[in-house]
Amino acid sequence: MGDVVVLENVSKEYPLGKLVVPALKDVSLSIGAGEFVSIAGPSGSGKTTLLNLVGCVDTPTSGVVRVDGLDIGRLSERELTRLRLEKLGFIFQSFNLIAVLDTFQNVEFPLLLQGKLSHRERRDVVVELLERVGLGKHARHRPNELSGGQRQRVAIARALVTRPRIVLADEPTANLDTGTGASIVDLMKSINETQGTTFIFSTHDARVMKHADRVVRLEDGRVVSNGDDPSAHAAGTGAELAHREEPAPYLAGE
Amino acid sequence: MGRLLLIAARNLRQNRRRTALLSAAVVAVTMLLVLLGSLGNGIQATLLEAGTAMITGHVNVGGFFKITSGMGSPVVVDAARTLADVKELAPEASRIVQRRRGFGKVVSESDTIQCALTGIDATNDEALRGILRIREGSLDNLDADGHSILLFEKQAERLNVSVGDDVTLSSQVVRGQTNAIQVRVGAIARDMGLLSIMSSYVSLDVIRDLYQLDPDTTGVILVYLDDPEQAGDVKARLREGLLARNHRLMEDEPDAFYHKFQQVAGEDWTGMKLDVTTWEDELANIQWTMKTFDTISSLLIGVLLVIVVIGVMNTMWITVRDRTREIGTLRAIGMGRFRVLVMFLLETVILSVLSALAGVLLGAGIAELLNSLRIPVSQGFQIFLMSDTLRLVVSPRSLLLAVVVVPLLTTFGALIPASRAARLRPVTAMQHAG
Repeated sequence: MGDVVVLENVSKEYPLGKLVVPALKDVSLSIGAGEFVSIAGPSGSGKTTLLNLVGCVDTPTSGVVRVDGLDIGRLSERELTRLRLEKLGFIFQSFNLIAVLDTFQNVEFPLLLQGKLSHRERRDVVVELLERVGLGKHARHRPNELSGGQRQRVAIARALVTRPRIVLADEPTANLDTGTGASIVDLMKSINETQGTTFIFSTHDARVMKHADRVVRLEDGRVVSNGDDPSAHAAGTGAELAHREEPAPYLAGE
Repeated sequence: MGRLLLIAARNLRQNRRRTALLSAAVVAVTMLLVLLGSLGNGIQATLLEAGTAMITGHVNVGGFFKITSGMGSPVVVDAARTLADVKELAPEASRIVQRRRGFGKVVSESDTIQCALTGIDATNDEALRGILRIREGSLDNLDADGHSILLFEKQAERLNVSVGDDVTLSSQVVRGQTNAIQVRVGAIARDMGLLSIMSSYVSLDVIRDLYQLDPDTTGVILVYLDDPEQAGDVKARLREGLLARNHRLMEDEPDAFYHKFQQVAGEDWTGMKLDVTTWEDELANIQWTMKTFDTISSLLIGVLLVIVVIGVMNTMWITVRDRTREIGTLRAIGMGRFRVLVMFLLETVILSVLSALAGVLLGAGIAELLNSLRIPVSQGFQIFLMSDTLRLVVSPRSLLLAVVVVPLLTTFGALIPASRAARLRPVTAMQHAG
């Protein structure tokens, strides 16, 4: 399997008043197609920045980020938008659904933006996907009528609806209770295994990490380990927990 | 586009309070725009109807006869031939009537007034018959005894006369001589604002006798058209045709005939020269009321529109701020900048189009209601409105204008915040704390 994400000596700095704050420092990393990769690290370690770069919503200060073979630093705004629409799916910590659209409409939205499928084709795809994530009976519910777990399932369905090569998830279980968080990870893993979609997700949660094929660990903007044995994090002890600034709801009930 | 429309509509519904306040403002301004426009149309319509009946035809063939180069009278000699030529050159005319022009004093036992004296063929001057509202006596009296005068209410009040009383007309004729003639008050009509302040009507013979005119003279030939908009074309054709038929013509000056005395007196020619004017030329001096009204109402509407546009802009800034993370999400999942712009603009378009439609319907309804109530206006306003009751004319053109202009301007106001929303970097929008 080839690499779908390649980072070569990537640095990212943010101006903060007169200061320049480094978020990523000389990061090099490759992620192969079909991998289920966890980005771990304490708050402020650069996890979200890394996902933003891979998700083409941000560009590196230096270095090269290749997504599906394309150097995102050389792409125009329009090309980046197209790349996000065609190749990437996003799952957010706070779900980020469109409040005024119902479940079906939220999931269908990226297909409308693509404009490739007919009304009937879109309906079939969305209905099938909603069944897959267990929301077949909630198609006409608005986000405020759904539980946290259901909302995240909608977000997963929305991320998958365009059949992207890569799904990026930023702390997908952080706002969910333990049981729900586990079911969401199971769902993501199941999709990864059945459809071969690459998942890259950031998490504090050792329980989530144990599902990963590989854990890339960041500290202070640097990769401190790449390819850790996920089971090493399952105990949820040591440095991982020591750096936590707030408890992960998924662990709260443990 | 359908889904963007749905998002826009539902967001408007979700923010009911904000939407209601903004809609109310747009409805109010649109309604005011319609009402002021209707009032302006009412004044314009009254001016056109009353002015073209009392002062001018749609096209006029008048002129000056000069015995010496320094003295001109508003008289058309060789009237029969001129009238025949006008009839031939303006076959589309719906009516052609003649009037004689004079200016003098009306003297009663108690007071004297100065006014324009217009000699009319009361039987055939249908336009005048249609517009004058006779309060006492009858227009037929002006034909019956041939030596009668029609006064307006205020004139009769000042002269302290009523129908059947005698008054004396006195006017300066050629070479400084003054002629006087006694006439009877045959009718008293309701005031017509500005148009009736310095104007009264007498039988055609009165002017002929007062100025000792030849029978084959007239003052002005009034041509009425079914479509007043054609006046300019007919005027051009008459000028060309009359020149071709050996009539002498004055320079084309778009001004009322009574403004041309001084100019004519200063020109070095004698004999007859015809002057062809349209109703717009003759009423140019009175149209200032329209222009003044238009200016005031335009200023008022302009200020209100600016307030509404600023309100819309401000609301859109708040909306963009409230929904910055949503913008980030949408951009992340692949929505382009243009679609973000359209999504926000659609909210303003929906709100402003629906509100403008409501404002137009409300404005038109109120205008019709006010018309049906025939609300009397004070004497001061009568001068400007040229009517003793409030008259509003709702024109489809002004309604269409309101429906188009208000949404266009408000959408323009929303353009800046919407563009900013579209230009937001996805990463910046997603990190927004709001």
